[in-house]
Amino acid sequence: MTTKNLGDLQAMFAEALASPKSIAREGEWPTRGEASFTGSARLSPIEQLDVYREQFWLRHVACLAEDFPTLQAFVGEARFEAIVAGYLAAHPPVHFMLRHLGSDLARFLEASNDESLVVDIARVEWAFVEAFDAADAPPLDARAVAEIPEDAWSTARIILHPSLQRLRLAHPTHTMRAQHREKVPVVRPEEAATRVVVYRRDFLLYAEEMEALPFDMLERLAGGQPLGEAGDALADATGRREEVESRIGEWFTRWSALGWITRVDVSV
Amino acid sequence: MNSFRTRHGIPDLGVGVGFRPKHTHDVLDGGGSPHVSWYEVISENFMVAGGRPMDNLARLRERFTVVPHGVTMSIGAVEKLDTDYLARLKKLVRTLDPPYFTDHVCFCKASGLDLHDLLPMPYTKEAIEHLVPRIKRVQDTIEKPFALENVSSYLSYRSSEMPEHEFIAEIAERADCGILLDVNNVFVSAFNHGFDAERFIDGIPKDRVVQIHVAGHTDKGAYLLDTHSDHVRDEVWALYERAIRLTGPVATLIEWDDLIPTFNVLADEAARAKKHRDAALP
Repeated sequence: MTTKNLGDLQAMFAEALASPKSIAREGEWPTRGEASFTGSARLSPIEQLDVYREQFWLRHVACLAEDFPTLQAFVGEARFEAIVAGYLAAHPPVHFMLRHLGSDLARFLEASNDESLVVDIARVEWAFVEAFDAADAPPLDARAVAEIPEDAWSTARIILHPSLQRLRLAHPTHTMRAQHREKVPVVRPEEAATRVVVYRRDFLLYAEEMEALPFDMLERLAGGQPLGEAGDALADATGRREEVESRIGEWFTRWSALGWITRVDVSV
Repeated sequence: MNSFRTRHGIPDLGVGVGFRPKHTHDVLDGGGSPHVSWYEVISENFMVAGGRPMDNLARLRERFTVVPHGVTMSIGAVEKLDTDYLARLKKLVRTLDPPYFTDHVCFCKASGLDLHDLLPMPYTKEAIEHLVPRIKRVQDTIEKPFALENVSSYLSYRSSEMPEHEFIAEIAERADCGILLDVNNVFVSAFNHGFDAERFIDGIPKDRVVQIHVAGHTDKGAYLLDTHSDHVRDEVWALYERAIRLTGPVATLIEWDDLIPTFNVLADEAARAKKHRDAALP
């Protein structure tokens, strides 16, 4: 056998495992199995390969069910499995960590023209996955903040906690996730433009719904805009300069208390 | 030449169990169990940036020896070794400073996909030629002794030219790596393929065995499935005693990854392992 042949055998696994349904009696698979595998006293050659195919699907469905439990509960097991089959066909696993398996599920559902509510459930649940093991960051050093010269604030960049996930949703689906976790009936919410921040503090995960104005400010800061520039741009975009200027201190205080702000960079 | 274990100063860690999130409180706050002297972690679960997993790992390492056990290195794949994977593994190994790290004789990647399973290699000379330099490269990169585990398998290749134990023995000798001998996997594969499990155990180079795994499996009727979801079967304990009698005192691990019981039940299984170990060793 050459490495090419080893490659052919391994490629055969990839092809076989991609089938959501048994290949034991499917097309040329029995013949192909016969050519490569011995079979056993109890399993034909292709039935041997089919064991791996079945395990592939059980493992990947279980992984996505673990990361998207509300979605699975909402759509039901049968539809969830159909979603997974379509998703894995379009986005087969290409990362060595199963943790990344669901990274494109919300986009896949959106591209499949699935109901926007379903897309929003997936987006919220994936945000929790991302927040769970995002990098750690020390809390904001109040003394360092107090020492920042007043004229440095306008060009300062606000560094947010790496776990912070910002979501613009068409439905408040974070409430569905909370209901599912609390094992109470999941209520289908009305469509409503919703802004949610998912974040981690002291290793616990939270979702906080936000007003449009502070959310937009947070988005600008997360995008790297200096504080003054972000405030000005927000004021210009919304025509609510007075409100922006009067509330920015309140936002900073609250976001710091929640652990969302970890550092103020005045080096620029 | 001194044995692999002697050359690398591989310690006998006693009996350990896999560290699972479900047991965090029992192990990190409750101090674990006197029957469990070390812990294994799945390497890939700790290749993340931060959060609770990394905090738990740091707390675990403060108290115990922790050995990383990989499941997706894909040492046998024809695809290139993943340098990102190796970099993350090296970082983890540096953090834990274990006596060695482990993975499986298998492939996980094919056609650009990560199949997330321990897929068996054909037992051929050519597969050995493919594996040996890759194992050496991994061992050189991580700068710690590397041990590879025999996997459970559900198929056998027509192209295989030798029994699995000869294949593993030759890989280990030529790559100069350690062996993680999983006796449950031997039992499962022996049933599935109709070979003699004791002959397998007897054929493994004993001086290279750095650790032994035991686990429960599931009888699917036409085959045994390595599920790590139950108590260790008596037949597997018998194989374990045979193995550790031959290897001498080496680390032993109870694997229980599905239908995970309470920590007390797992610790009782570790105590059972200790009894079998004591019975087998002089």
